[in-house]
Amino acid sequence: MMQEGRDWDRLVVSRKDTTGEEAVIGHTQIRKGGIAKVTGTAQFGADVDQPGQLYGAVLHSPYAHARILHVHTEKAQALPGVRAVVVGSDFPTLYGSFIADQPVVAQEKVRYQGEPVAAVAADTEELAHEAVRLIEVEYEPLPVVNDLETSMKNEVLIHEDWSRYDCSSACFPQQGTNIGDQYHLKKGDVEKGFAEADEIVESDFSCGMLQHTTIETHTATAKADPVSGEIHVWAPSQSPFSIRGLLAKTFHVPLEKVRLTVTEIGGGFGGKYEARCEPIAIALSLKAKGRPVKLTYRRDEEFAATVCRSPVHMHIKTGVKRDGTLTAQQVTIEWDAGAYVTTNPRVDYNAGFAANGPYKLPNAQVDGYVYMTNKTLGTAYRGFGVTEVATAHERQMDLIAERLGMDPLELRLKNVLRNGDIGITGETMQTMAVAECLEGAAANVDWNALPDRWVDEQGNLCGKGIACFNKLTGTPSTTSVLVKMNENGSLFIMSASTEMGQGVTTTLPQIAAQALGMDLEKISMAPVDTAITPYDKTTTSSRSTFHSGNAVLEACADIKNQLCRLAALKFKVDAAEVEYTAEGYIQCRTAPDKRIHINDVGKSGILHEQAPVAAIGRYGTSDIFDPPPVDGRQSKRPTVMWMHGAQAAIVAVNPKTGRVQVKKVGAAHDVGKAINPTGCLQQIEGSIIMGLGHALMEEMIYEDGKLRNGNMVDYKVPTFMDSDVEMKITLVEQAHPEGPYGVKGIGEPGLAPTAAAIVNAVCHACNADFTSIPIKPEHILFRKERGDASQI
Amino acid sequence: MQQVTIQITVNDEVYIRTVPANMTLLQFLREELQLTGTKEGCDEGECGACTVLVEGHPMNSCLVLAAELDGKHVLTVEGLAADGRLHPLQEAFLEVGAVQCGYCTPGMLLSGIALLNLYPHPTREQIRKEMEGNICRCTGYARIADAIMLAAERLDPNHTNNA
Repeated sequence: MMQEGRDWDRLVVSRKDTTGEEAVIGHTQIRKGGIAKVTGTAQFGADVDQPGQLYGAVLHSPYAHARILHVHTEKAQALPGVRAVVVGSDFPTLYGSFIADQPVVAQEKVRYQGEPVAAVAADTEELAHEAVRLIEVEYEPLPVVNDLETSMKNEVLIHEDWSRYDCSSACFPQQGTNIGDQYHLKKGDVEKGFAEADEIVESDFSCGMLQHTTIETHTATAKADPVSGEIHVWAPSQSPFSIRGLLAKTFHVPLEKVRLTVTEIGGGFGGKYEARCEPIAIALSLKAKGRPVKLTYRRDEEFAATVCRSPVHMHIKTGVKRDGTLTAQQVTIEWDAGAYVTTNPRVDYNAGFAANGPYKLPNAQVDGYVYMTNKTLGTAYRGFGVTEVATAHERQMDLIAERLGMDPLELRLKNVLRNGDIGITGETMQTMAVAECLEGAAANVDWNALPDRWVDEQGNLCGKGIACFNKLTGTPSTTSVLVKMNENGSLFIMSASTEMGQGVTTTLPQIAAQALGMDLEKISMAPVDTAITPYDKTTTSSRSTFHSGNAVLEACADIKNQLCRLAALKFKVDAAEVEYTAEGYIQCRTAPDKRIHINDVGKSGILHEQAPVAAIGRYGTSDIFDPPPVDGRQSKRPTVMWMHGAQAAIVAVNPKTGRVQVKKVGAAHDVGKAINPTGCLQQIEGSIIMGLGHALMEEMIYEDGKLRNGNMVDYKVPTFMDSDVEMKITLVEQAHPEGPYGVKGIGEPGLAPTAAAIVNAVCHACNADFTSIPIKPEHILFRKERGDASQI
Repeated sequence: MQQVTIQITVNDEVYIRTVPANMTLLQFLREELQLTGTKEGCDEGECGACTVLVEGHPMNSCLVLAAELDGKHVLTVEGLAADGRLHPLQEAFLEVGAVQCGYCTPGMLLSGIALLNLYPHPTREQIRKEMEGNICRCTGYARIADAIMLAAERLDPNHTNNA
């Protein structure tokens, strides 16, 4: 029984909104599930154990590219306590969500350093690792494709024959080349636009290779019955249903035989969208006669053998009139995508639509290419390529401003898409607030009062920079939720929108509470399990509060109808006479004294011995979607939701050490409606510090296919010491007509303009044109030495 | 591997166990005692997720051998709440939104408590320095510092901070 005054009661904040109405949305609410996270009872991936469990360990390839001649497993097999050893030939199957190019364990050859070559299941973790050390592999090294330049030559092919693979209709590899996917957008005629321009500006920009570096590494526990074919996986999986589909295909079992139970997720950012430990743990369990196998990657394996953000090179050419009007822009994007295609086609696609920024462009072209290299695998990273292309188009805007002698903010405001303008696919844009975001971000750093560059009292070189972006959410996509009322009138929401820190398990209950006029503390989220939870496509693309929120609203409408029918029985009136009021009363129209508040439904007796109250809510975007054709990608509705925002940064560069300090970031993001304002701010604040890392510190360094800094000592992520950044954040609310209460996504957008704004500020401060990130102190000092940065 | 018999007090409970001499405190807590609140992030002392207090001092439990701690007192995240009540720092973490994915949270809380023992009214600079060994990928750290300051105020409300 619930005891009065316990923490779970006290920690509920409920405030009146500006109209004096009790409103749940628009007010900060304490995170649902938070108590388990501060008391240590929340169960993350590696915290889950199964009876009879074995432990897995993986032998990773030391070579980036090599033929496998023989794998000797005899000594490992002979070690007492070893229950299963898996090599490539045991599971001659390939997987991949866009193209099935990836083996569970390498077959015939390895394509990156760290690729699994064999795996062991044993009684203890130590024993499994000992057995792995006893496996000997004979390799014949092959030439290594370490970079874009080598990949483009096609002299060494990483995948010799794309046509061998099962390929989806959303992936476009080019036979006989290292191109794993391509994307082409064409609006108008860029050559005509360039001819109309007074100035042509061209630039290049590159982004380094990044690791998601979630503090929880990839892990999976799998129980796979070789007789029944039933597979049960426990894992911190961002997108359980897409992984379920992938695993069913990989192991040739019907979809319904695969069950994925989602644990707490210790950070995702796109990294836990991919199946990494899951297939290997299943293979081991199958070979260990169905005993459960837990496989948890160590940090070095996380770096070498999971996923990353691909390095990318971008070339951008813009035509502009003397007054600052853009006439045409052409962007070429080359992804250095690693050894297997994974989700790169979706990165290529989303980045392609975003590559020209949120600007009016009568003529535009984008050509994106996914080039395979002998490196670990690129995938989604908080924005599907949007952050990377923003660095290029926003650096370009500053170069144009400089050429024309215009203020960078003024140039952007002159060209940004506003309501009714025609977007990059020919779409008529709606609910656009980019200009407001730019103005808000600028005001938050006092942009107009500052020069481009100045020197502070300590002799640091200071500069300001600004950036904005546009990002679409994946469309079409579908989701469903189940909302069920418990016997006491409380609610459970079952949704497969997984919680990985972004707060969706708080926003969905808030939406239900608002819709029903119900106390938030009466609403809980059920754990996610594909055997029980209704279908949801994926927890990515900043889509969850928008999509699942809409599904929750539909379910709540049904719940109201059901309650009205039950109340009518008690009131002994016709069901049509009972209405559900905005305040949460189920009342008789003709006799208003006959009424029950939703919070009192449990004790009212109307639920007693009646058909239980439960409702499915569904939402999908296939009907509004205008599929952008492969040829040019023009579409009247390429996405259900565009997201926009802007950030401005102030930096101080120490001319002696080259160290950059980000002093201040002003941000303004259009969230449509801030359901949980603190939740929105958390996303943006976390993104700003993450983006600071991307701009100034983080980079996976590969030499000849070998990762040189695959650990948290040498791969630098921002620490507390880097967090001394003054942040001023504005939440712009330009309601989305199709979003629940006007919502737009904010999970990824916070990161999109950060690195771009910081780069522009550093370039201003040093009066130099940096063309890649991260910008490390040595890059700044090198420029100083070369004398091509006039300010330093 | 040589076995060692040790007596360790964890969260005021005494445990006597015979363990391999090379077992880390982190393994001891998670595998021997099934206290899985303490997290492994890197196993090399860089991320701070496994921070616990040994005799009141913060330590990366992945870098300490259980055998070295015979007779010692260890505090983990499971030992913070008492009598159905959260510790003021746990409460502050929730109230100001210092928790997102939650994986770094147990280590942050323990480092935060050690910090508050050292500086009952810390400045932001002291927080940044003392907490540097705990990495968080979600929050950007500011709200964690806010939570520590709020807890400091509540633990000693009569103090006026001149800093």
